[in-house]
Amino acid sequence: MTMHAGSRAALALVLLGCAAAAARAQTAPRYQAPVVKDTARLAGPRQPIFFRHDIHAGQDQIPCMYCHYTATVSTEPGVPSLQTCMGCHLLVGGSTPSHQAEIAKVRKAWSDRQPPQWIRVHALPGFVHFPHMRHIKALGDNGCVLCHGDIAKTPQVAQVSTLRMGWCIRCHVERKITRDCTVCHY
Amino acid sequence: MVDGMNRRRFLKVLGVTGGGAAVVAGCGIGPEPTEKLIPYLVQSEDEVPGVPTWYASTCRECPAGCGILVKTREGRAIKIEGNPASPINAGRLCARGQASLQGLYHPDRITDPMARDAQGHLVKITWDDALGRLSAKVKDARGKGIVFLTGLEASSFGDLVDEWMKQVGGRHVTYEAFAFEALREGNRLAFGSAAVPSYDFAAARYILSFGADFMETWLSPVGFQGGFSKAHGFQAGRDAAMAKFVAVSPRMSLEGMNADEWIAAIPGTEGLLALAMAQVILSGHLGAAPGDAGRLTELLSRHTPAAVADATGVDAKTIERLAKEFAASKGGLAVAGGMAAQYPNGAEIVAAVNILNYVAGSVGKTVKFGGDLAAGGAGSFRDLTALLADLAGGKVALLVTHGANPGYSVAGFAAAAAKAYRVAFATVLDETAGAADLVLPDLHPLEQWGDSRPRAGVVALQQPAMQPVQSNARGAGDVIAVLAGKPGTFKDYVQGKWKAPKGQTWADAVQHGGAFGDAPVTTAHLGPDAAKIFPGKPAAPALAGDKGDVSLIVFPHYALYDGRGADKPWLQELPHPVSKIMWQSWVEVHPDTAKTWNVDNGDFLLLTTSFGSARVAAWVTPSVRPGVLAMPTGQGHVAGGRYAKDRDVNAFDLLPGAANGYGGRTFTVRASVDTTRDHRYLATLEGDPREGGESIVELLTLARATGLHAGEHAFAEEPLPEYADSAAAGWAAAQHDKASLGNYATQPTRWAMAIDLSKCTGCSACVTACYAENNIATVGEELVQRRRFLPWMRIERYFNQEEGRPVRAVTTPMLCQQCGNAPCEPVCPVFAAYHTPDGLNGQVYNRCVGTRYCANNCPYKVRFFNWFNYAERGGEHEAWPTPLDWQLNPDVTVREKGVMEKCTFCVQRIRSAEHQARIEDRSLKDGDIVPACAQGCPSEAIVFGDLNDPHSRVHALSEDPRGYHVLAGLNTKPGITYLARVVAGAEV
Repeated sequence: MTMHAGSRAALALVLLGCAAAAARAQTAPRYQAPVVKDTARLAGPRQPIFFRHDIHAGQDQIPCMYCHYTATVSTEPGVPSLQTCMGCHLLVGGSTPSHQAEIAKVRKAWSDRQPPQWIRVHALPGFVHFPHMRHIKALGDNGCVLCHGDIAKTPQVAQVSTLRMGWCIRCHVERKITRDCTVCHY
Repeated sequence: MVDGMNRRRFLKVLGVTGGGAAVVAGCGIGPEPTEKLIPYLVQSEDEVPGVPTWYASTCRECPAGCGILVKTREGRAIKIEGNPASPINAGRLCARGQASLQGLYHPDRITDPMARDAQGHLVKITWDDALGRLSAKVKDARGKGIVFLTGLEASSFGDLVDEWMKQVGGRHVTYEAFAFEALREGNRLAFGSAAVPSYDFAAARYILSFGADFMETWLSPVGFQGGFSKAHGFQAGRDAAMAKFVAVSPRMSLEGMNADEWIAAIPGTEGLLALAMAQVILSGHLGAAPGDAGRLTELLSRHTPAAVADATGVDAKTIERLAKEFAASKGGLAVAGGMAAQYPNGAEIVAAVNILNYVAGSVGKTVKFGGDLAAGGAGSFRDLTALLADLAGGKVALLVTHGANPGYSVAGFAAAAAKAYRVAFATVLDETAGAADLVLPDLHPLEQWGDSRPRAGVVALQQPAMQPVQSNARGAGDVIAVLAGKPGTFKDYVQGKWKAPKGQTWADAVQHGGAFGDAPVTTAHLGPDAAKIFPGKPAAPALAGDKGDVSLIVFPHYALYDGRGADKPWLQELPHPVSKIMWQSWVEVHPDTAKTWNVDNGDFLLLTTSFGSARVAAWVTPSVRPGVLAMPTGQGHVAGGRYAKDRDVNAFDLLPGAANGYGGRTFTVRASVDTTRDHRYLATLEGDPREGGESIVELLTLARATGLHAGEHAFAEEPLPEYADSAAAGWAAAQHDKASLGNYATQPTRWAMAIDLSKCTGCSACVTACYAENNIATVGEELVQRRRFLPWMRIERYFNQEEGRPVRAVTTPMLCQQCGNAPCEPVCPVFAAYHTPDGLNGQVYNRCVGTRYCANNCPYKVRFFNWFNYAERGGEHEAWPTPLDWQLNPDVTVREKGVMEKCTFCVQRIRSAEHQARIEDRSLKDGDIVPACAQGCPSEAIVFGDLNDPHSRVHALSEDPRGYHVLAGLNTKPGITYLARVVAGAEV
């Protein structure tokens, strides 16, 4: 009933996605996420649920765009809804007790209708406008690592780039991209 | 200064040295400490964060029923634009419609149901309690009088109220402060039918307005204005032409400002003027008068131009000339309304103007019965005075109000209503709701279902664009549906009433905003009473009241209307199109009159009528007839939200409380005037009412404009001296080299704009669109008086007054000219104002240190400084107290204290269109980018595009023979080309 009709990944696609990831895993040498014994040593803020990008994106090879699907079409990458998590975790319960404990938190959040309150890691000031889709378009689907680091091998997300203007500009200069102020500042 | 220290370098060094310590300490730039990211549980399919979702709905700010598209981001409505599919407004929207967002997010909205406690204070109660009380009262009041008072409701909501009232034995009264009694009665007199026809301005070739403010508040202003500018705007080409527009009214309204000729007839004599014109046409057989027009011969013979000249104050020659022009156009349209329909003889005036249309053969051509407007269904003032009498006589036990505020506009209402149990559905505690015994928080129209039938053949649907802002509010329709025992919700009721036209489903209709059809045009013939009007000798009517000898006209404020707009800061801070005054009320006084009283701008006058008195500041202006005073409604609320309450005086207090002969209210009264010794600064945009020798607004006569050929230029710009040219070129080239990198290196774009002043009416819809789009702070009355406002876009209005020539008002939108050789840029010590490679004058907020050199150096005065932090929570000058800040556009930075800001050509829309084009692997197309002002303009006067694209519309317009640049002699090379206004007449 809206003027904008977007097509979204539906629940039915979830299993397909997992199957595709499994198929790819057979050909490439499989990355094995380490067992994290001491979470205090990990960089970055402690999140309400110990969500492991290294297991999801690294070991299971789920593409970034599976969860952060709006990054290709919008300025905002979006935080996956809890429904996206439950698409898999309705069935996937975890292999070790520690994993099971974290997944139980996700299921509880779902049954309580209380989404987790993630601590924001990457933030830009209000006067900077960063269009994700333009950067994904230019750098490809795996361009994420350029700014966010090798997320697929990071158990806990931390800020690896300064996100300061000089850091932005360096890349724009290298790639001969505009350095006009009003491209980002307005 | 070749190699040494120049001023800019000096300041740079100074800045770095002084700022050293601050850098170490950190200047607040960087990640926010512990911001939370809270995901959705289930994300809506329609929603992509960062990408707006649009909902089609219907504007409910006035009964015109314009179609709207509500832009939502992350579930919040942030902007309203017109729905292009709607035949009522064709994609455009006025300032009031756009400002409905501030009603939605008003910080003083009622949160919970409330009832009176033992001390008489309103205290919060639960919905169960509230509904229990209401049902008990309804049961109790059966047979003792139940009245439901609403605004004009040509809608399912109105039907539901009717049904419920029938069930409980009550009656449904509708009340609009500015209703159309005279129009209906005038149509009945002339044609025997009280319907309100639709007026086809676009098809008119000569437009005569007798007081009708059809671009401001009258019937359907957005649609009328669109049609008007299609007809009145200059069309170049082989059959170059425009419709001439003549406005007759004692006060120059927006229509008078746009008129090719403004005729300031004596108040109340507009009808005589129309009859005299009809006489000229009929006796000279100038028009295609229908056969039965002969019945009018006797009436018209008593009203020859010579016979009415004295009474109207317009000489016979002028009347004859206008009549001949009107008839010769063979497509004339005369409308009567507004001021002319609010005199004691308003109905006769409307009938007289109908007769003028009739004898000129316009009825059926430009005046179309059949496609009747909903205004015909409005209740009359007599209905309300009857209700008042019933209330005072104790014949009403229960009074329910919704969407009407008689407590504000009728002086005796509160006292009379006190005898009944008063229930109010309201969003804000205005005068009527604040005095109620039971207050039920209603949903805003943007939060609920509904519909509107503004014109025969058109059903406009209304759907919620977001979840309710006040979670404990309930839609009045839903509440009444329960009370009336309807199955389901109000949405089900609306859907049940919906009759699907062929091939359209309900979902389809909701998506597109409704079903838009045309009703067949019916014929109209003279009614039995047509020749019975104006029986006596031609004379001005006696005005209401018997105090004093000055005529006082009370007129609806363009933005605040009958007071309902007063609670929205955008509308309060919108300079009135004529007076340019914000946040205040005023009384218009002619300079000659002011001289006799020794009164100047801002001096308070004490106006006394037989019905009340008001102390109001004078605005001395040539835009009103000598000896006549004019005062807008809208201010003077004693209750309501923070923006409306206790602000200035209420003009309704000066008006009679009794209905006149045709059941309407008389808005022109006799007043006595006393001067006082008090004075205040007018909170006005105006610097000077004259252009001061500069041709800011250029005019051309129709003859001159028609004679211009392509390639010619009516306004030749003086060639520059060589030194100026080379200096400018060198500076521009250096700027461009610095910024031309990457994708811009091969893309020499220059964003530019063309504004056609023959279409622009000065209505100011663009101003509010700009405020909404660009997060512009409203600063309040006091800061406006100190000229610290921030209107990126303003409408400048000048009076051209020369001895012995008629007064002419000219208007022009003034915004950043995005100069090619901008005076603001070289004076900025920190490069915050700089030239972008795509031809904009960039303003980088995070670089700006607030020297204000740029504003000093800007010849157009379009740069504005943030003297305070308007976004500060709880700050003294807070512009967006929560939840008003929910409206802020996330794509635009909210500026801090100490930075400059100005029009960016909606750079966020440019960037967004560029992103979209890149994602779709294509180039930008002409028309991809529409700035907010151009989008909202009801006249389509503004065109935006790439000047360097030879196929763009803006490129073509920039070479128009009427084109000119403001202050071109300064060598600023503006990016905005104005197209001179064309005046149909002998002189400009």
